[in-house]
Amino acid sequence: MKDFSEKIIFEKASDWIENNQKVALATVIQTWGSSPLEVGSRMVINENGNFLGSVSGGCVESKVIEECISLMKNNKISTVIDFKVSNESAWEVGLACGGDISIYIEQITQ
Amino acid sequence: MKIKTLQEILKYKSLKKEFAILTDLKNGDSEIFIPNQIIKGEFSKYLDEIEIIFKSNKNGILKNEEIFVQTCKNPIKVIIVGAVHIAEYLINYAKSLNFEITIIDPRGFFASREKFPDTKIINKWPTEAFKEIETNSKTALIALTHDPKIDDPALQYALKNKFFYIGALGSKKTHEKRCLRLIESGFKNEEIKLINGPIGIKLGGKSPSEIALSIVAQLVSEKYKN
Repeated sequence: MKDFSEKIIFEKASDWIENNQKVALATVIQTWGSSPLEVGSRMVINENGNFLGSVSGGCVESKVIEECISLMKNNKISTVIDFKVSNESAWEVGLACGGDISIYIEQITQ
Repeated sequence: MKIKTLQEILKYKSLKKEFAILTDLKNGDSEIFIPNQIIKGEFSKYLDEIEIIFKSNKNGILKNEEIFVQTCKNPIKVIIVGAVHIAEYLINYAKSLNFEITIIDPRGFFASREKFPDTKIINKWPTEAFKEIETNSKTALIALTHDPKIDDPALQYALKNKFFYIGALGSKKTHEKRCLRLIESGFKNEEIKLINGPIGIKLGGKSPSEIALSIVAQLVSEKYKN
């Protein structure tokens, strides 16, 4: 069960939407090995790159924010991003914990 | 996710309803699952698997499918008996640990609103107060008054209702006396052993905030034992 501060994440999403901002959610949907946060961990991101919550121990958040902003810019609904140790982009953002994670990002739409 | 789904999530959270968020990872559709209710559309095909994940309090992707289930259960209820100084720190720790706290203290002057903003306080004796609280085996009791008149009835209630965590403040001697009183009241030794007394894990600290930390640490460790 992952309920830690979850309500605050959804409340923040709702606040930003009321202020006419584009909002995306990022959710950990699968983990392998020693990834820091459990499945179900969430983060909310707005079009300006402001965010709340986390999906790792700080290893991949910057990349997730970048991907969410581009998702909102291109008006796409959702996508899955995989961070693997063997994956070059994961090295760039530095998944130092040695685990692999899959993160689902989605835009909140009308 | 649609705004409508987001609003439903917030509504059910404020109503303290337990539910799951279903997401189709292929097309981004999402829906709310509520136990014993019909699910609309595509998701209805996976009802059995969704229920298994929900009942086991887990989150995850359904086997061989691209459906993600996130279970949203209510926080663990923690009942504190005694609006004492330690309770103030416990409430601070509990905020970031997703525990829902209720304070019971018949001594009105202790349980003031100023000291415990945003916390449910019941200014009644435990036996009366428990009539106002819904409890189950996911509830915890922290008895802090070390006054038998107040603590004992609460401890008896928690034992009878099989709370998952029961702790009572007081020295080894105080706890021994407490155990004797419970035996006199008809409780068995193996039941009384379920009370964490003296309360908390050994950190060595003596200040109210340090004691609160040792209690909350014990509570978290008990939560993951089951």
